[in-house]
Amino acid sequence: MSDSRRRVLALARHEFRAAARSRILLVLLGILVTVTIVSVYVAAVDHRSLVADYAAYRAAAQNQGLDRIAPSPLQPLSLLRGALEYLEIIGAVIAITLGYLTVSRERANRTLTLIRSRPVTGNELATGSLLGAVGVIATLVAVTTLVGVVCVGLVGNDWINAAQSVKLLLASGAAILYMTAFYCVGAIATSNTKVAANGLMIALGIWLLVVLILPQLGDTLDADNQIPGGLFKALTLDRAGETEILKHFSTYENTRITIEEASFAKHFERFAFAMTEVQDKYRGFSLTSLLNEKRNDIGWMIAYSIALIAALRFSFRRQPTIPQETT
Amino acid sequence: MITTIAVQQVRGLMRQRVFVVLLVTMLAMTALAGVLGWSSHHTIVGVYDEAVKLLASRGLPAPPNPFLLKPTLSLLSNMVVYIPLIGSLLAVVLGHLSVVDDEANGIGRLIFSRRLTRTQYIVGKMCGAAVVLAFVLAASLLVSWLSLIIVNRSLPAGADLGRLAAFYTLSWLYLMVFALIGMVTVLATRRRSLALLSAMGAWLVITFAVPQITSGLRPTQSLNPIVDPAGTSQAFFRYTSNIRPYSLVEQYKAVSGTILRTAATEPTGDTVRHIAPLVAAVVALVVAVVVLVQRHDYSRGSSNE
Repeated sequence: MSDSRRRVLALARHEFRAAARSRILLVLLGILVTVTIVSVYVAAVDHRSLVADYAAYRAAAQNQGLDRIAPSPLQPLSLLRGALEYLEIIGAVIAITLGYLTVSRERANRTLTLIRSRPVTGNELATGSLLGAVGVIATLVAVTTLVGVVCVGLVGNDWINAAQSVKLLLASGAAILYMTAFYCVGAIATSNTKVAANGLMIALGIWLLVVLILPQLGDTLDADNQIPGGLFKALTLDRAGETEILKHFSTYENTRITIEEASFAKHFERFAFAMTEVQDKYRGFSLTSLLNEKRNDIGWMIAYSIALIAALRFSFRRQPTIPQETT
Repeated sequence: MITTIAVQQVRGLMRQRVFVVLLVTMLAMTALAGVLGWSSHHTIVGVYDEAVKLLASRGLPAPPNPFLLKPTLSLLSNMVVYIPLIGSLLAVVLGHLSVVDDEANGIGRLIFSRRLTRTQYIVGKMCGAAVVLAFVLAASLLVSWLSLIIVNRSLPAGADLGRLAAFYTLSWLYLMVFALIGMVTVLATRRRSLALLSAMGAWLVITFAVPQITSGLRPTQSLNPIVDPAGTSQAFFRYTSNIRPYSLVEQYKAVSGTILRTAATEPTGDTVRHIAPLVAAVVALVVAVVVLVQRHDYSRGSSNE
């Protein structure tokens, strides 16, 4: 192992241990796990009765000696929708906090000067911190996913199969990428401000815009969301009628979609919802078809992450080694 | 003395441009709610016109115009989402900065050498934050009034103005809860970042976690002003619905819906019952702030990052 790699791994271990000791991160993780359990439990209770109905139908069909029994239409993965939404909102706050702590901890403890007095480059520091943070994020996503899957199995009485596990793994990978991007936002904002708390506020402002405001705008502007129950339903229009009418609003729809696409959170949400079969239209798709269908979202997520990781390395390279502020 | 502290507090926030940021963000948010309301109006009318033509071509009768079902003030229904989402976060930052800056710049160590009690000091701080929020919301009310004139092409009726004023008064009360949470977390913790993140945690719990537990509302459902009610027939909700009256964001949205008439009307007694938890939260937090400031250690240096 080269010296550089050894230094990077040492920094990653340091980052992981420091994060695990942070009380605020543990509190935020506690909130995330609690709301995940509640959201999955609520969805799984209803699901359990549907599983029982299907089992009864299957048993009756077998007793009658039917050859062809309809497969279960139930999608246990879709019960994780609440968990994914919480990863999207609270997970991003946790990642920003992690990024903020990476910079502010070393500044407040005056250890940044000490670290940089060793033969450690800015790039190694950025890579080590990033790897440690990815380790923390991956642990957190794994805990949340595991809690969700166990809840679906125990409460919903429906354990996911191998194919569904692969899709869930991909959704979890996207969650790790998503949170890593927000980790970079937190670390970049903090390292570029003299008062670390101001950097945290800037990062939270970006979070508010990207995670809550832009998707909310896109959702609110959706023509069908204008009145309770759906506008097209109120106008007694079927799907064909809706498509026909929306042709007259192409500029409006394009603007709405552009606003949504500006949000990294929306790309993560679309990809994760497709993988967990939350949206009916993706049910029955093979994994290859799903990935092909979601290539745009995958591309945006990778592009955002690469840009932010590059910006993180740049910020860490030009970060002053002597503390510039004390408050 | 309380007035002096409150005036100094407002001046300090203006000098730091916190006041400007707060004002600009709230006004932008109100204008955005107006634009979205206008867009919603425009879209509904456009879709309705096209639907009438399409249904006529199929030999079907025209349905009633859904826009007629929308009340005049529904144009501002997005504000009911933005106040708990953006407004309350800004209020947390306002409350946080109101107290933390005196600690960071050393004023906290000097100010009590004057003839000033800690209660007078913190009451002045709370009054300063209350005045700033009231001013910002009054400016938002003005923007909302202008939006109504532009979109409806007529002056709002007196009753509508009264409802608008009632909505912004309710919003002020709601935002005060978060400004006070911002103060409590500074006074209860030793580090500035921990204080800010604890307040954020409280915001996340109040805005997203509690409605999920009491009403089964997923986070994204909280982002849309038009929400189809979640199914709450499970045994789980029979227990958790008992704490729904204490869910601040749900009570705020319920009263807002009644005031703006975007929800079914309810007896005045029910509205008062919805507002009571907000008042109780403000009173409890004021007491907590006053108690915590008595034991807060202002001699700690300014390096509590």
